[in-house]
Amino acid sequence: MKREKATTLYIGPQHPGITGNMMVRLKVEGDTIVGARTEVGYLHRAFEKLVERRNWVQSFTMMCRFCVPEPDPVEESYARAVEMLDNIEIPERAKWIRVLVLELARISSLLLWHAGQGHSLGLYTMGQWSVGDRNYILDLFEDLTGARIYHMFIWPGGVRRDFPKGFEDKVLKTMDYLEKRLEDYDNLLFENSIFQKRTQGVGYVNPEKVIEHGVVGPVLRGSGIKSDIRIDDPYEVYDKLKFEVPTQTGSDIWARALVRRVEIRQSIRIIRQVIEKIPKGDVYTKVPNPQKWKIARGDAFARTESVRGEVGMYVASDGGAKPRRVHFRGAAYVHAVTLLEEVLIGQNIADVSAIMNSLGTCPPEIER
Amino acid sequence: METLLEKIKDRVNANFDLKDYKIYTDLKRVDLFFNKEHIPSVLLYLKEQMGFRHLMHMSVVDWIEEGEFEIIFFLWAPKEKVKIFVKTRIDRDNPVMENMDNIWPQLNTYEREFKEMYGIEFPGLVAPEEFILESWSGPPPMRRDFETDKYAKDNFATRPGREDAQDVRETIAKRSGEDIPDFAKKYSR
Repeated sequence: MKREKATTLYIGPQHPGITGNMMVRLKVEGDTIVGARTEVGYLHRAFEKLVERRNWVQSFTMMCRFCVPEPDPVEESYARAVEMLDNIEIPERAKWIRVLVLELARISSLLLWHAGQGHSLGLYTMGQWSVGDRNYILDLFEDLTGARIYHMFIWPGGVRRDFPKGFEDKVLKTMDYLEKRLEDYDNLLFENSIFQKRTQGVGYVNPEKVIEHGVVGPVLRGSGIKSDIRIDDPYEVYDKLKFEVPTQTGSDIWARALVRRVEIRQSIRIIRQVIEKIPKGDVYTKVPNPQKWKIARGDAFARTESVRGEVGMYVASDGGAKPRRVHFRGAAYVHAVTLLEEVLIGQNIADVSAIMNSLGTCPPEIER
Repeated sequence: METLLEKIKDRVNANFDLKDYKIYTDLKRVDLFFNKEHIPSVLLYLKEQMGFRHLMHMSVVDWIEEGEFEIIFFLWAPKEKVKIFVKTRIDRDNPVMENMDNIWPQLNTYEREFKEMYGIEFPGLVAPEEFILESWSGPPPMRRDFETDKYAKDNFATRPGREDAQDVRETIAKRSGEDIPDFAKKYSR
């Protein structure tokens, strides 16, 4: 068979379906991809350098900016790493509030995923519905934290404030609304034959290589491996909550979509348990004056389960008032570089955006 | 848990020249310190023989006062549910570390980043020249002795007509003809 001449095709840095800027340089023969290379450099903000010149509390204000669509897991992992370093025990109620915030963040991010996955395949109604519904979650964030996107709420020592009046009731009502709304999502997205045809067998990740590749989150669970940091290495109060970790064995976009379909329902289940079981008490432990707060030499590493998979925060102290090193690891650091470059080989150009979205590509996590 | 962590440490110690160790029972974590030449075989052993298949992270810390970079590999055993931090030190003036992306492919990305940001050489690393920085000719910017402000002043020009916009408070005060309030003066340049 005559081999076609390979052409270089640049996709990006703007994409339908992912948040942030990143380019994929493809080598294509006809419509088929024969080579792929991730190119970043559009978003580097040097946060990890900047925090070396700020004290422990000033640094915390930057953490949420590491990942735009889901900033709370980054805040939580930083706060917990600092607490590990300085042996700070936070109040029980603060841990429950943190779980509530993290699960709301998961729902918000999963709604964005619905939008992205729909957009990347030309189903724009999905995005209009789910982004609209996401606003109800952002309303809850605004009530609780005062901000819609970057909350700066989970900080070393606990959380910044307790629930406002009537907040629990509003959360439950929003969850009831959302649960009912998910039935519409099923009709529009999951039962849509075009969506099924465009995702089944596409973006296949070899299940034998997933752990060696450092794959995490729904991509790992979509390959048949039951793994979730909330259960495997529980933090806050996840060990006191009941929820299921869904798995699928297809290892393609469809399998990962089905995993996420269940995950959003599990987050609603967790939030209801939090509202039911949350104890009374303080929401923060007093930490030293931020200008004088010094932490003994040492290091800590905290992991949190985000929608894209585990995120990790490494924090090292030299005994001073500022971090010696803060180094963040997001799921996209692996999924959108080495994994994406491998998965794209043999795929069709039209599926690139859908595959990127399905792998949880988040460029701000790659270059911070 | 302490026994399990002790056992892991003893098993590694029986096979490799362990320099030092530290056990954190409550965090289910053991830190193992080695000379850099042992790192590839230690990592391979931990991955293939002891079930530490998941590389959670890799990091570099610049201990400029001690003239060394600390390189850390964060491993997780999904079955035993424990963490190992494998640590080593390399000379800051001649920073060379063996390329290990054949053990975990994701290390390729980390090595590309550390090459750019800290100037650490990984002989045998196959990757395009540029990762995050584009046409960068200055010193590696994540090193502690990199002077951000000086580099910016030496290399980038201020936009004509915007020279005074470097300090917002001064600009506003000048335009409105008012003095900067005392409490804000100490923050002005």
